[in-house]
Amino acid sequence: MKITYNIPDMHCGNCAMRLEALEDELQGVTSVNASYHKQQMVVDFNPAIISEEQVIRAIVEKGYSVSQS
Amino acid sequence: MTEYLVAFITGLTTGGLSCLAVQGGLLASSLASQIESDMQGKSSSRKPNVAQPILWFLISKLIAYTILGFFLGWLGSVLQLNPVSRAILQILIGIFMVGQALRLFNVHPIFRYFNIEPPKFITRYIRRKSKNTSPVVTPLFMGALTVLIPCGITQVMMASAIATGNPLTGALLMFSFILGTSPVFFVVAYFATRLGERLEKYFMKFVAVVVLVLGLLTINTGLNLMGSPLSFKNLTGALTGSNTVSAESLPVVAPTIAPFVDNFSVDSEICPMLAVSSDGSSIPCGQNNQAGGCAVINSQANQVLIPTESATAPTQPPPVAAPVEAYQEIVIQVLNRGYSPEVTYAKAGVPIKLVLESQNVRSCSLAFVIPSLNVQVLLKPTGSYTIDIPAQPAGSQLPYSCSMGMYTGVIVFDN
Repeated sequence: MKITYNIPDMHCGNCAMRLEALEDELQGVTSVNASYHKQQMVVDFNPAIISEEQVIRAIVEKGYSVSQS
Repeated sequence: MTEYLVAFITGLTTGGLSCLAVQGGLLASSLASQIESDMQGKSSSRKPNVAQPILWFLISKLIAYTILGFFLGWLGSVLQLNPVSRAILQILIGIFMVGQALRLFNVHPIFRYFNIEPPKFITRYIRRKSKNTSPVVTPLFMGALTVLIPCGITQVMMASAIATGNPLTGALLMFSFILGTSPVFFVVAYFATRLGERLEKYFMKFVAVVVLVLGLLTINTGLNLMGSPLSFKNLTGALTGSNTVSAESLPVVAPTIAPFVDNFSVDSEICPMLAVSSDGSSIPCGQNNQAGGCAVINSQANQVLIPTESATAPTQPPPVAAPVEAYQEIVIQVLNRGYSPEVTYAKAGVPIKLVLESQNVRSCSLAFVIPSLNVQVLLKPTGSYTIDIPAQPAGSQLPYSCSMGMYTGVIVFDN
């Protein structure tokens, strides 16, 4: 399942790097592509392993506000 | 030695902040693992030890940029930048810096594209690598990676390293500059990490202001280097009318040009600007100015000194009237704070021997360029250097500056 989120709080390329680290940190997330330029991130995950709420919570825990694109 | 000191001071005063704006992300990444591991440690109240990874980061950065400087100097020895291409490079760097500042101010989403992000495969590789390595390896690695995202000031210094045209000089120049940036980088990074996100935001605004100013200055120096009328100095001069060129405004006395003659001799006490030419040979460009029996425009006094018979030694026979070449001589004093005079007037249609005189000068004014003629020379701290300039049309101007475009001047040609 692939969902695109708006992350308006990204203020540099490093934020994108931090968010992309979720692909290593969350089980069931296959890939994360975050773009500081677009202020968006695309998360590819397996809903059988991880729910969307868990993904959102993980983003918020990193200090970012999130809304679905 | 001077250029290294200048590079160090540049790093100390401006480079640190500018670099932090661009490279802060990489430093934060290298700190993140340290902070994370410290926080995950049993005592959550313990403050994370960030000093050590910052030091590793900076040491690695210093080594990486020194190596980079070596290669840039080598590149410069192969490919020498002329003043115009250097000016264009500076203007582009200035635009990049202004774009960075506007990005930090969050003026418009388009400015986010001024932020150079490392390619995804690199960040992914670093991230995964950092998981299994010690807190030493990550900052070391990240520090070395900063060569991929040099800030504006660093890029200016990199351009200077290319301009040295010497691998060792280039390496030392970059070493001095990065060493200069390190204390600021360390202090700010250390306290920004400690102070928390809110203060960091204020700090980034401050960095944005500084980068904006530096960006505008860099563009201006690029414009100066090109001799552009759009430079700040020329624009303000045009508005106030202070750089209006008119022959009437000149206290120049009848700029008559005397022919260069064989065995011409002038009493140097009467006319100290005129030296004795023993053999009457012309002075080729780039040689120390030791001779020159010619009309001299004393640019400081704005007077034309014309050798006359009364000025010649009475015992000498009259000079043989065999004109070889008519030219005018202009003397410009190279000072630590620029060039004197800043505006020199010369006669159109007559070649110039431009004499640059320096006396214990220790600034970048020694790197003298005339962009439109593609002239660039590195003067000695004390000495005299002559540049042959072909005749210029009336009404034209010949801007010159130091190689960084900081100190400027102009030769104005009129009838």
